[in-house]
Amino acid sequence: MDINGAPNEEQPRPGQCLRTFLREQGLLGVKKGCDGGDCGACTVHVDGKPVHSCLYPAVRAQGRSITTVEGLAGPDSLHPMQEQFLAAQGFQCGFCTAGMLMTAATFDAAQKENLPRNLKGNLCRCTGYAAIEDAVCGVSTGQSGGKQQLGDNVPAPAGREIVTGRARYTLDVPAAELPGLLHMKLVRSPHPHARIRSVDASAALLLPGVRAVFTHLDAPGQLFSTAQHELYTDDPDDTRVLDSVVRFIGQRVAAVVADSVAEAEAGVRAVAVDYELLEAVFDPELAVLPGAPTVHCDKDAALARIVSPRENVVAELHPELGDVTAGFREADVIHEKVYRTQRVQHVSLETHASIAYFEDDRAQSDGAQSDGGQSDGSQSDGGQSESRFGANGPSEAGTGAANFAGRLVVRSSTQTPFLTRRSLCRVFNLPEDRIRVVAGRVGGGFGGKQEMLTEDVVVLAALRLRRPVQLEFTRSEQFTAATTRHPFRIRLKAGARRDGTLTALQVDVLTNTGAYGNHAPGVMFHGCGESLAVYLCPNKKVDARAVYTNTVPSGAFRGYGLSQMIFAVESAIDELAADIGMDPMEFRRRNIIRRGDPMLSSHPEPADDVLYGSYGLDQCIELVADALARGRERYLTAGLAELGPDWVQGTGTALSMIDTVPPRGHFAHSRLCLLPDGGYRVDVGTAEFGNGTTTVHAQLAATALGTRADRVQVRQADTDLIVHDTGAFGSTGTVVAGKATLAAAQELAGRIRNLAAELSGVPAEQCVLGPDAVDCAGTLIALAELNRHAEDRGESLESEGRWHGSPRSVAFNVHGFAVAVNTGTGELRILQSVQAADAGVVVNPRQCRGQIEGGIAQALGAALYEEVRIGADGRVETDILRQYHIPTFADVPRSEVYFADTTDSLGPLGAKSMSESPFNPVAPALANAVRNATGLRFSELPLARDRIYLGLREAERAADLAAAREEQESADGRRRARA
Amino acid sequence: MIPFDYRRAIDVDSAVAAATANPRAAYLGGGTNVVDHMKLGITGPGMLVDITGLPLDEIKELPDGRLRIGATVRNSDLAADPLIRRRYPVLSQALLAGASGQLRNLATTGGNLLQRTRCVYFQNVTTPCNKREPGSGCSALEGYTRYHAILGASADCVAVHPSDMAVAMAALDAVVVVTGVHGERSIPLRDFHRLPGREPERDTVLDHGELIIAVELPALPARARSSYRKVRDRASYAFALVSVAAVLELEIPENRGTVGAHPAQPPGPALIKDIRLALGGVAHKPWRASRAEEFLRGKEAVEENFRRAAEEELDSAATLRDNAFKVPMSRNTIVAVLRDLTAAQAGKEQQR
Ligand SMILES: Cc1cc2nc3c(=O)[nH]c(=O)nc-3n(C[C@H](O)[C@H](O)[C@H](O)COP(=O)(O)OP(=O)(O)OC[C@H]3O[C@@H](n4cnc5c(N)ncnc54)[C@H](O)[C@@H]3O)c2cc1C
Ligand code: SF4
Ligand code: FES
Ligand code: FES
Repeated sequence: MDINGAPNEEQPRPGQCLRTFLREQGLLGVKKGCDGGDCGACTVHVDGKPVHSCLYPAVRAQGRSITTVEGLAGPDSLHPMQEQFLAAQGFQCGFCTAGMLMTAATFDAAQKENLPRNLKGNLCRCTGYAAIEDAVCGVSTGQSGGKQQLGDNVPAPAGREIVTGRARYTLDVPAAELPGLLHMKLVRSPHPHARIRSVDASAALLLPGVRAVFTHLDAPGQLFSTAQHELYTDDPDDTRVLDSVVRFIGQRVAAVVADSVAEAEAGVRAVAVDYELLEAVFDPELAVLPGAPTVHCDKDAALARIVSPRENVVAELHPELGDVTAGFREADVIHEKVYRTQRVQHVSLETHASIAYFEDDRAQSDGAQSDGGQSDGSQSDGGQSESRFGANGPSEAGTGAANFAGRLVVRSSTQTPFLTRRSLCRVFNLPEDRIRVVAGRVGGGFGGKQEMLTEDVVVLAALRLRRPVQLEFTRSEQFTAATTRHPFRIRLKAGARRDGTLTALQVDVLTNTGAYGNHAPGVMFHGCGESLAVYLCPNKKVDARAVYTNTVPSGAFRGYGLSQMIFAVESAIDELAADIGMDPMEFRRRNIIRRGDPMLSSHPEPADDVLYGSYGLDQCIELVADALARGRERYLTAGLAELGPDWVQGTGTALSMIDTVPPRGHFAHSRLCLLPDGGYRVDVGTAEFGNGTTTVHAQLAATALGTRADRVQVRQADTDLIVHDTGAFGSTGTVVAGKATLAAAQELAGRIRNLAAELSGVPAEQCVLGPDAVDCAGTLIALAELNRHAEDRGESLESEGRWHGSPRSVAFNVHGFAVAVNTGTGELRILQSVQAADAGVVVNPRQCRGQIEGGIAQALGAALYEEVRIGADGRVETDILRQYHIPTFADVPRSEVYFADTTDSLGPLGAKSMSESPFNPVAPALANAVRNATGLRFSELPLARDRIYLGLREAERAADLAAAREEQESADGRRRARA
Repeated sequence: MIPFDYRRAIDVDSAVAAATANPRAAYLGGGTNVVDHMKLGITGPGMLVDITGLPLDEIKELPDGRLRIGATVRNSDLAADPLIRRRYPVLSQALLAGASGQLRNLATTGGNLLQRTRCVYFQNVTTPCNKREPGSGCSALEGYTRYHAILGASADCVAVHPSDMAVAMAALDAVVVVTGVHGERSIPLRDFHRLPGREPERDTVLDHGELIIAVELPALPARARSSYRKVRDRASYAFALVSVAAVLELEIPENRGTVGAHPAQPPGPALIKDIRLALGGVAHKPWRASRAEEFLRGKEAVEENFRRAAEEELDSAATLRDNAFKVPMSRNTIVAVLRDLTAAQAGKEQQR
């Protein structure tokens, strides 16, 4: 076949699909997001037509001509579609981009007219498609020029790599760089709760290519949490690398390592496991009842930091502010309802994956002592003794963990390289200088990668086998064995007076953390925080518990508990407003906190380090109210107001608040230096997964150094670069890491100015930094020259900046929808979608807008149809993208995005965070709009079409019944009157 | 994927001979279904006979006005074909409502008819499923049945047929032409797919080794109008919860425009001369709504009749725990499709 214009003689293996064949030919731009025709990330051209290469047998390509993203550009210029994707920055993480480009590159004008239909084979989880639409249609969204500093639409530095398929994601490592790479596949539990009696790997070890099988007998005894936080004590220690008890269907049982993925898969099928079945519980409401099966009864509550293993409670919270009973007595109206939110998955297009390898392969193959895992007394129950080591033999594989030369490098798809290193060292009892964690470009995270889900087990294998080992989750594993958002059950009671004063707010919350407690306390605490604190109400009470069940673990996900609670609280606010006959926006205006008010969730004392660095909630409310009014006007003048007899229309809004930094410290460290050519380089710890922090760092540094963002190189996400960084989560990329970079830049600017002053004799205050030189009252000294001077003196122009994440500020989002609902079919149409955000000074408006659009799209998926369904046996039923629908191009309306005009006194150059929060107000705003249109309150997510439909039918029946009753009564009345 | 033998067929006879001789052989059309299933471990054919090189990729008009669609015509080419778009809009609409551009570039007419159910439990090799493993049980019955059948299901299987194209073809009275070692036969599409009964593992009446070579569409009366509507969760790229294909022929009463005694009298409602209606997403096969058709023939094309016809058809519906909504949803969709078709046709006729 012919690949990108060159003949290729390589023979595909039998059974190989075109995607893996092309990747083996070094064309790493061909991506995999699903391996089943659902996502389009693997799109290539066969004889000029776009096809999914994952469903195309490679043998079939013989005699045809194949084009991949690498072959799209001409010899000296990009393909116009690549240029367009750059001009509109039609990507965030960029993992979907190659496929998008390949599909769009074939479009004629007519196809561009109907993108909802023609782009439906390509999914993007980050952008919300607005930027992609601009790109495909050739709209350029960045004004060229500008100073490329604060407030400019600086393009992502990796853009060119992304559109040409050269950006290197986690597994995009050419085969030559990792000779001898082995592949791991995991044996996973078919039972929701069982003790492993024995694992018989003998048949697997006889299979060709299988190198080793690891079980709980090989795993260290150290318990840990897959959740990654600055303080590991934030999460319970309830997890082992491989455990002797399995607690959900899909939990790891054993790890098979082989020469190829297929051989490892064959090995997995050949491993025989003997289980002793234990009773399981799937419903959190049942899990807290006396006598329920216990998920972690083997744990010591204090040691593992689990509130009550006997009752399946990981964490709980019971504060009261004021007196809610008195508050309800004062109320004229009371709203009481149970709200439920579902499990949703991140669906970052790049799945979890990591590779562990040795930086320096001088390891000796002697040493026969066992590692920590073997000394764990609790494992003696298994009692099997078959050889678990394959071709390499026990002498090599049994080598002690710390007894290796060189360093172990873990290349991972992670949001937290430093914390992951710390966790690995804790689990394997290694000093931190023995492990380096690096991230390539990360193909989407959304919180899912604030978790250690692959690294620990590849490290176990690499240490034992002394070979590089790789593990990549399939899309199904993402659904069945990674993490999801915590489902919340919220019993809510709220009261208000007729004058529009909120008198009491009470919630009883049960969160389902699944089989492990990763993020369970944090999500619960955070959820019950800002969602309640944003309302000034004297009486609030929270009873919350995070509960174990034998289901796939929940974890961190954009919004971190807030979206669930805000759904309930904002729905309730709407109901109260309806009950007292007040416009819901007006009701909110009367009850929200204003600058200076104490921010009290339900604790009588506010968090001492959360301050009003700025306040823009009032502006956001007005921006949305005005936009909705304009929208109505537009519809009326366009004559679109009347949709037909089956349609009813309504509007709805909701607001949200978020602390700009997680509590208890979030640390960042940046190193900055002047380069010999007068440019700069900044090293930071945070990973880039499409959140845009790279550009933010460059812009902040450029602003302080008087240069342009494109003169600032950013290196990131490598534990070798800097001392410590907590990681890219909790919306901290800008406000914490950015602040460290800004501090470093300000310091370096001062030192450069001083040196220039010294050389020129002009006072430092009069020396002004520019992109190439320092202007010393008219005399220009080139930066390159300053650098030489410094070097001659044995100095270097470098600086460091640190920030510890406190004090913190608050950011706000308000969302509004206008919708129409078809009362016949339950179809919901979004007529208008508006979000206003208070992000302080917006460092990069286009990028920030992209974060908001992407957050809205994700939230719409979760509000409308996304749901990880668990069957009666505890199994995840929606384990492929065809069963679990994420929004396609056609599903996402174009949203209007507005920014409040504020400057934050705490954030870098006035900026605040804006990455998680756009998600939070979307679902309640939609539910409120549906309520406004239909009169029906939907208190359960998702608002799927059949649910709306059934709700409407039920209401109809109820109305019919009521009418019939009335009829009956009046007839009775007539009879009585006659009698 | 399990390794397989790959053979490129050069002519129909040798393809059929090769596939018939090997009990583990399967034809390879676009591969978008069979390759996906091989990856999921649902099927593991030992040999794939690639038929896309066969001369079956033409759309031809036959002398008697019928249209013959070759079995390897790609879904994208079929949807874009000018004759199809003009004469059988329902088919073009159904194709475009399904899958994605990339998939349609590969998917073939024959393969589309033979694509297998999307029942979650069928696709998950770790759960029992009578269709995948006869006798192992049906997990759906105890499971999540939002997507499952309301018509014609059995105690052994409640899956639905996923194809959009086949629903349109059912409404068009298409005929499937197949050939096997015992020669050629023509099977009306409505008889081509089976109801599950006691043998849910058999989707169609095809024998092992039989090859679809074409699908033939009868000519439609000049006045007939057709359309396809698909209701699904996402705005696009999802299988149908419910879909409706309809071909409608109306008779417009002649009293309109007559000058004389009753100049201001509005035209009466049109009469239904002929109607063909098929439903997707509700049964193990594309479901021809014969009872509704019978009810409607000769009646006035008014909403009340559409509704009653739909109710008549759905009278025999049996719902499961999660799919009761499909009954009213089907009814409303039928009504909406017929109402819109009637309005469009009446509008057109009046303009003349
Ligand atoms: C992500 C995704 C989304 C999809 N969405 C939709 C949708 O919304 N609506 C919809 O209708 N479809 C949808 N599809 C299904 C798609 O339309 C089918 O996969 C496709 O039509 C199958 O055609 P094929 O030629 O690729 O079949 P193949 O995979 O090649 O074959 C399918 C089966 O038919 C057999 N076969 C093929 N040709 C012949 C022949 N001529 N004679 C006898 N046997 C033959 C094969 O042996 C195999 O068993 C979707 C598919 C995917 C992957
Ligand atoms: S409905 Fe049919 S396909 Fe689905 S599990 Fe039951 S037998 Fe299998
Ligand atoms: S990897 Fe091929 S479509 Fe997703
Ligand atoms: S940019 Fe599309 S998936 Fe990340």
